[in-house]
Amino acid sequence: MTMRQRLIALPFGRRRRKSGVVVEATGAGPRVEEGPQIDIAPNDPIVAYFERAGGAVDIETLDLDSPARRALLDAGMKLVVPLISQGELIGLLNLGPRLSEQAYSSEDRKLLENLAAQAAPAVKVAQLVRQQEAEARRRERVEQELRVAQLIQQQFLPKELPELAGWQVSAYYRPAREVGGDFYDFIELPGGKVGIVIGDVTDKGVPAALVMATTRAILRGAASRLDSPGEVLGRVNELLVPDIPPQMFVTCLYGILDPATGRFVYANAGHNVPYVAHRDGVVELRARGMPLGLMPGMSYEEKEAELGSDDVMLLYSDGIDEAHDPDGEMFGFPRLMGAMRTAHATDAVIDNLLGELARFTGRGWEQEDDITLVAVRRTSGRESTFAQQITDMSEMEGAAGDGTVIDEFSVPSETGNERTVIERLADPIARLGIEPSRLERLKTAVAEAVMNAIEHGNKQRQDVPVDVRATTDGEHIRISITDRGGGSELPDPETPDLEAKLAGAQTPRGWGLFLIKNMADEMSVSTDGKHHTVTLTFALKGAADEHTAV
Amino acid sequence: MQEPKVTMEVRKADGGAVIDIVGEVTAACEDVLTDAFNQATDQGAKAVVFNFAGLEYMNSSGIGLLVTLLVRANRNGQQICAVGLNDHYRQIFELTRLDEAIGIHEHERDALAAAGV
Repeated sequence: MTMRQRLIALPFGRRRRKSGVVVEATGAGPRVEEGPQIDIAPNDPIVAYFERAGGAVDIETLDLDSPARRALLDAGMKLVVPLISQGELIGLLNLGPRLSEQAYSSEDRKLLENLAAQAAPAVKVAQLVRQQEAEARRRERVEQELRVAQLIQQQFLPKELPELAGWQVSAYYRPAREVGGDFYDFIELPGGKVGIVIGDVTDKGVPAALVMATTRAILRGAASRLDSPGEVLGRVNELLVPDIPPQMFVTCLYGILDPATGRFVYANAGHNVPYVAHRDGVVELRARGMPLGLMPGMSYEEKEAELGSDDVMLLYSDGIDEAHDPDGEMFGFPRLMGAMRTAHATDAVIDNLLGELARFTGRGWEQEDDITLVAVRRTSGRESTFAQQITDMSEMEGAAGDGTVIDEFSVPSETGNERTVIERLADPIARLGIEPSRLERLKTAVAEAVMNAIEHGNKQRQDVPVDVRATTDGEHIRISITDRGGGSELPDPETPDLEAKLAGAQTPRGWGLFLIKNMADEMSVSTDGKHHTVTLTFALKGAADEHTAV
Repeated sequence: MQEPKVTMEVRKADGGAVIDIVGEVTAACEDVLTDAFNQATDQGAKAVVFNFAGLEYMNSSGIGLLVTLLVRANRNGQQICAVGLNDHYRQIFELTRLDEAIGIHEHERDALAAAGV
């Protein structure tokens, strides 16, 4: 262009963008500087005008009542060439007066229109790229938040459950992808008593996790000083009210169990009503009280229940009763109570409930809220005492639900028990129709992972169990092997190389992890500092056997 | 320590030796395997054929033991071959590249012939 003129391209959009650019052609080369920024509201009539204009527009002679036109004039613009991509106005090429002060010739206009026609698709692409980058950054932030919330939540769940003679205690926690504010806790109290807590913070994510952590700490403090559950909740409420963000509150049940007598004294701050399954039916443990953090000066009714031999008490969060099936129907309290009716005298109340829930929600269910279950059962004396805690993070890992449990059991950490595990799993998995060669690979991988858990994770301490859990979603089998060696390094991180081994540069051993990685379709490792879990995934069927060609 | 759940019979065959493995090849069978290999070596076998037709289970520790034997065999100038491997363990041999150091054959006579004895 021979004329010395100002050329400004302003991408157009809903939001203000700092993108006006002035290109000034001089003998010394173009000088680029930021130009004035002009906002065009989406409902400005000039948008429709530009979209239909089909070429350069004289802004001075344009007869249109438009805020953008006035802004363009104020900025000293004379000629505007709309940038149109697929019928949509995406930006403007704005020109001030020619430096020669002559009017723009028709040749100038033609040149500018050609330039605009070529620039429009490029500007559109640039806009899309920028949008995508912004979207990716947003998603990254969300993921980061999810991870933080998850970390906080995990940090404040009990590291282990109390072992009470004559009682079986089990707890299950499965966060939803967007972590809610569920929590549970067991507090050791004088005289062998134990405080039992279950709660749920409204809201999700990091704010809920922080309030959960605070509530838990305050409650522990109050429980160590006060004997009455009602007073404890009252105290927690007083301390929480001034600090809790508005619109947030905490539902919470707190009770004190005397394992020697089976007496359970409790108070409830608006949390789901616990159930107790007796021989002759299920009862609700009702007690009045407002959720924590809503208003000061609340008092909490205190009640008492007696747990006899074989009685089971269930505490739970609304993640289970408010779960929906594919038709939008809610799991609801009647189903929960129904499941409890059969819970009397079983030591697998949580397994039964989860099975019931899985049948209800069906395959591929995306868990809506955290699910927390705490079951306390008084044994009739013949059975063993146990404390079982499951924290299932599968939903967090983006898995499409947990599927059906094939089997779940523990073996002592004794070499040779890896065979026990694969022999126990082989038949039920074979019945799912897995290809025989895949079953062989599964057996090898699982045996190796169990061996690692026994030898490296649990250091062959026979009293320390290796937990095995096998699930299926109908297409895959997922097997989790958990040891108590959380945080310990995985064995043989070095990739085995036969030549190096034959030359004595590597130990002859160290094939375990290599076999697992090659036999399983997927392997993931997680730890909570105490436990260490290896999860192996196998497709039931595969198109090509990619492992045979090496 | 675990009891070995395996027997390994050593047979003489055409200048080599065949070791018939019945049971499990795991860390527990280290002594049995070493004894069998020593016996074959003492007989002057230049080729040692492991017959895995009776193999019920082999794990990474078992593979480690085979690698140890391979090192010894290389030092002695002996060949190690394998027969009777099923598809799964044959795949593992391929994956670990043991098949490049241990010749895999269908029949004993092929194995002994390939070993050049």
